[in-house]
Amino acid sequence: MNPLPGPLPAEPFFLKTGLGERFCLFYPPAAGKCRGSLLYVHPFGDEMNKARRMVAHQARQFAALGFGVLQMDLLGCGDSSGEFGDASWEQWKEDLALGNKWLQERLGKPVNLWGLRLGALLALDYARSSTYKIDGIILWQPVLNGTSYLTQLLRLRVANDMLGDGKEKNGGTQAMREALKAGDTLEIAGYDIAPALALAIDSLDATSLLMTTCPIHWFEVVSAADRPMTPAGLRVVSAWEKQGVDLHTHIVPCLPFWATQEISECPELLSATSSIAADLSSISRMASHEL
Amino acid sequence: MYLEEVKNILGDVLSLGDAKNSLKENSALLGSIPELDSMAVVNVIAALEEHFGIVVEDDEISASTFETLGSLAAFVAGKLAE
Repeated sequence: MNPLPGPLPAEPFFLKTGLGERFCLFYPPAAGKCRGSLLYVHPFGDEMNKARRMVAHQARQFAALGFGVLQMDLLGCGDSSGEFGDASWEQWKEDLALGNKWLQERLGKPVNLWGLRLGALLALDYARSSTYKIDGIILWQPVLNGTSYLTQLLRLRVANDMLGDGKEKNGGTQAMREALKAGDTLEIAGYDIAPALALAIDSLDATSLLMTTCPIHWFEVVSAADRPMTPAGLRVVSAWEKQGVDLHTHIVPCLPFWATQEISECPELLSATSSIAADLSSISRMASHEL
Repeated sequence: MYLEEVKNILGDVLSLGDAKNSLKENSALLGSIPELDSMAVVNVIAALEEHFGIVVEDDEISASTFETLGSLAAFVAGKLAE
């Protein structure tokens, strides 16, 4: 590998919003070659924490390649203002708009989005309504179906009931969904989940989050080199391609670093992602010429 | 049948390593694989949902679903046929 230029230090700061402050970490592009910028959209709950190391590695690689990267803790997450129970899907999209604006003002370059897991869905949903031009989107292991994602969260509370011979199923996920619909906040795995956020997640479906105005790079981590994209992923791929999404899929065998018990790394994903970053600006230039 | 895919998912989620390769259609799961506790069952279901794009309701899961590799694969086949 070629030696990369020495990285500039990341700049931590708080971004003021109408609703408190958001903790941000900005990785400035390597000196003298700003080619664009990336706004990172983090996943939810523990996945956000487990992915921090990988995200920091990738952000540094992007910076070395000439991209400024803004990593922002959304309302109620990480070191930002608010409790998790205050968070809402709409507010998160507004946070992203602020981050987008900040990057635009700081670098004056087109912004790409980079989302992991639930953050990938949030990035797609935000991109559709963004008033700023989005240059490209990188999805890392996107959550595809909000309903099963929410059920999986809720199920953490009922793990022990589920195998109990079918008699005592009180407080099952269906009952919890009803409680959320009735406006109750539920605590799941240490996070208070506000009903509006849960119901917004429940209604998400990657198939319908069509984004056709910029290229999308989808990186799917699989556990062995000979494993293809999952059947669930293939359905979304085919739906998007039918609707004219400029989609590029990349299958990367490595550990699911956002979920492993111990913090893990996936160097294969870093190198695969960095290699497309080299093309990010040129691909989108081609795409905009075709329009 | 989805035996191979379900076996791979079990192997990945439970970190079974080479032990995965000895699993057959009639291999007993629940009660026989020590890694398969209630939290692991939840994780296996989540992995099956994400892999196959299915949605599993609580009341569809019982100990009998996880009795053997074959019963779990048959459950997946049934969900995909819905």
